[in-house]
Amino acid sequence: MTTLPPFRNEPVLELRRATERSKLAVGLGELRLPLKVPVWIGREQRFGDELVSTDPGRPERIVALAAAASAEEADAAVATAQAAFGRWAATPVHERAAALLRAAAWMRERRASLAALALRECAKPWPEADADVCEAIDFLEFYARGALELQDPDGSQLLQVPGERNELRYVPRGVCAVIAPWNFPLAIPTGMTAAALATGNTVVLKPAEQAPGCGMRIVEALRAGGVPAAAIALLPGGGETGAALARNPAVATIAFTGSGPVGLELLRSAAEVAPGARQLTRVVAEMGGKNCIVVDSDADLDEAIPAIVESAFHYAGQKCSAAARVLAHEALHDALVERLAGAVAGLQVGPADDFGTDVPPLIERDAQQRVQRYAAIAGESGEIVTGEHDVPGEGWYVAPVVAAGLPPDSRVLREEVFGPLLTVESVRDVDEAMDRIDGLPVALTGGLFSRNPRTVQRVIERSPVGNLYINRSTTGAMVGRQPFGGNRLSGTGTKAGGREYLLHFVEPRVVTENTVRHGLVV
Amino acid sequence: MVVGAATSLEPEIRRVGKALSEGFPSHRGNPLKVLDDRAMDLAAQDAELRAALFRFVDVVPACRSLDDLAAHLTSFLGEVHAQPPSLRAAMRIGDTKAGRAALGAAGAAGVRRMAHRFIVGEDPQAALPTLRRLWRDGIAASVDLLGEATVTAEEADRYAARCAQALDTLAAAYARMDEQPLLERDASGPLPRANLSVKVSALTPLLRPEAPERGQRDAAPRLRALLRQAKQLDAHLHIDMESLDTREAVLELVLDLLAEAEFADGPSAGVVLQAYLRDSPQTLDTILEWADRTPRALPLVVRLVKGAYWDHEVVEARQHGWSVPVFERKGDCDANFEALTARLLEARPLVRVAIASHNLRSVAHAIARNRLLDGEPRDVEFQVLRGLGDDLGRALAASGLRVRSYCPVGDLVAGMAYLVRRLLENTANESFLADQAHGVPLEQLLAPPETST
Repeated sequence: MTTLPPFRNEPVLELRRATERSKLAVGLGELRLPLKVPVWIGREQRFGDELVSTDPGRPERIVALAAAASAEEADAAVATAQAAFGRWAATPVHERAAALLRAAAWMRERRASLAALALRECAKPWPEADADVCEAIDFLEFYARGALELQDPDGSQLLQVPGERNELRYVPRGVCAVIAPWNFPLAIPTGMTAAALATGNTVVLKPAEQAPGCGMRIVEALRAGGVPAAAIALLPGGGETGAALARNPAVATIAFTGSGPVGLELLRSAAEVAPGARQLTRVVAEMGGKNCIVVDSDADLDEAIPAIVESAFHYAGQKCSAAARVLAHEALHDALVERLAGAVAGLQVGPADDFGTDVPPLIERDAQQRVQRYAAIAGESGEIVTGEHDVPGEGWYVAPVVAAGLPPDSRVLREEVFGPLLTVESVRDVDEAMDRIDGLPVALTGGLFSRNPRTVQRVIERSPVGNLYINRSTTGAMVGRQPFGGNRLSGTGTKAGGREYLLHFVEPRVVTENTVRHGLVV
Repeated sequence: MVVGAATSLEPEIRRVGKALSEGFPSHRGNPLKVLDDRAMDLAAQDAELRAALFRFVDVVPACRSLDDLAAHLTSFLGEVHAQPPSLRAAMRIGDTKAGRAALGAAGAAGVRRMAHRFIVGEDPQAALPTLRRLWRDGIAASVDLLGEATVTAEEADRYAARCAQALDTLAAAYARMDEQPLLERDASGPLPRANLSVKVSALTPLLRPEAPERGQRDAAPRLRALLRQAKQLDAHLHIDMESLDTREAVLELVLDLLAEAEFADGPSAGVVLQAYLRDSPQTLDTILEWADRTPRALPLVVRLVKGAYWDHEVVEARQHGWSVPVFERKGDCDANFEALTARLLEARPLVRVAIASHNLRSVAHAIARNRLLDGEPRDVEFQVLRGLGDDLGRALAASGLRVRSYCPVGDLVAGMAYLVRRLLENTANESFLADQAHGVPLEQLLAPPETST
């Protein structure tokens, strides 16, 4: 393969132009639902309807009818992937990379229809659905290049002395179980899967039970690109399917993005070495956060307010990077609350396919109820500063909420709500804000609005988060530009979309050869 | 471009441009000196220093004390690598509390002084003395109300109320001024004296690039009320254009409202065409087609500008991987400006034309082109920015041309964003004013634009 052009992000559609908007509408019109999603192991497909994904904005609309993989099927998928491992691992890296690039091209040709599917299945509004497709393409392109760089012998940084040759190589680990979330239904599963495949692992992909349709498209893309059928299995299912995968001693790596409790359970079960296991299971986990934005007294509220609204309420706050707490300097706290409440009052809650929608429905009824529960707690112990909101009756909608004046020990300030609920606290200064942030067990994203370079520097030094954003929104990390992942209990410290991410899917091996024969260096 | 026509215009453009430049007041000579702060001259030469000064201007309104101001100032200046001696001295002053108070006071005073050159008053009432003086000197005005960004419905209502009040104040004040025949009538009929520029982004918090109808729906009642009031007061309402993100929303909204039956016989209203946009010729098509099928008693005024969001447009496009919507070479932009000028002048009386540029060549071209088309001087308006284009405005008025000065009104706090943009424009590398200030020969300033094709 000739050298690849440098990585560049797939451009999102320029939706400020009417011509671009109409392209997406065509994609939605061409979507034929429901999709039928099989358990897909090698060339075997078993269809079923044990798992049903629906349009969160119109729950009677079925998006996908999926088979739910049994524990036996999970084991069969791992066995098939295990059997295919040797051959895929031995496939030259440039061929593996080429397959990923062809998968990217497959997706690029279907951008509108893939975005339409994410829109229907997960209620991603158009700009976000389009961005999700772009990010999936980015991961394929980025990790394809990353795998090539990893195998570059010149990249070995070992010391060499006369009479010996030292070499560091990276080899794939084996079968990787990818357990994916629904909130970036194309991008995140594609990312984890592409990283594993690019480095020579075989993959069993379990998409979120809410997004089997998107999961199927990813597997189609990869197979169409030339990844052998046995090297990538589709295993739709719920928590039991994931647990079955995690228990299987032949799974070498678990790549997981999702909630904290599930992630911790995976880490626990992976730590148990099963009888007969020949390798430690590695877990790459991205979990939740309680993301805070600090607003200092010299912040420009004209810019901070829209950025906070975007961070907290786009996609109804259902991003691991979404802002949950604002810690505002007391000098501008009241003005901020007033303007924020006014801005939130103008947000339009509505279906994802309306370009005017700011806050789409939540993913499912449980989520709706959870957010309502937290809003009730916030209302009891503090003050809800946002008013009533027009919310469609059908679908898992909730009104966006801003709460202020909560007691410091409130659950609402500590637990991840994962919905359109934002709290605002008053702090004496930035240092008090940083103390509060330091008290949290999670550290995913964070934000700061300040126009003083010294304050910015101080916050950079004190902030524990994996991704800190200064004077901008805290969401929208881009592959190659903002490698993404949290610290503390937010994750295993990996950075999706970063150069070092692939290292979690390989084992380094060092070979040292004695080049001295009978006292001569040969 | 039609080469023949362009060539035959050149001698006239040079003649007009030369005459205009001779009309610049000699006691000032150098427009950059208008910003008497030596800081601006320094800033024009050093990118880091410029950034530091702009960041300071930007944060002044948010600082709580002189100490806080000084802390910001020294913090910004600390990031400048090559500090002139005067700055090093300022940094040392900032080491003590008393020094910081002095430094903060000096910094704030400097910014305020600068702001006063651009902002004619805290409110329309306070602006009246300046507006009267301009009118007496043969220069009309368009008042622009500066304010915080609109993020809530209440803020949109407040801005609309300020606009309504400004219309009242301006109409009453201008009614008492003496006649200025050149400023009050063109071939299409009477020209209103009172003139207000409004921003749709301030009339609604709901401008969404991907959903223009939301902002349109929300802004429409507020804008409609202002149009009614302008009609009743016989004032002109001009709707400014902002970044490309909002162009579709703004243009459609204005054209739709003006096509409503109640506005067929007024008020006088206008839109803006930004020549730096590559697709501005298509936007002009849209405007002219609309004007052709929408008979109005008073033709739509089209203000032709270069465009003030160049950096924003380039950065946004590059961050998203989009093709850059603006011309990236000054020559291409200038050539487009001239082509649009020609089309607009030829489209009269379907539209009224306002040429808003500080570029001597662009202005001279418009004057020459108007003459070539046998237009009268009163049939094209020239607009300048208060604080930046004052000398040009006076020179144009002195040569019997119709001039309007765009006058920002508002408190300094809210006006800072505007101020920063104007300062950026003035010190940018390819700024015409900077060229002129640094003694680029007149022949070169008046040469035809060099295009990349």
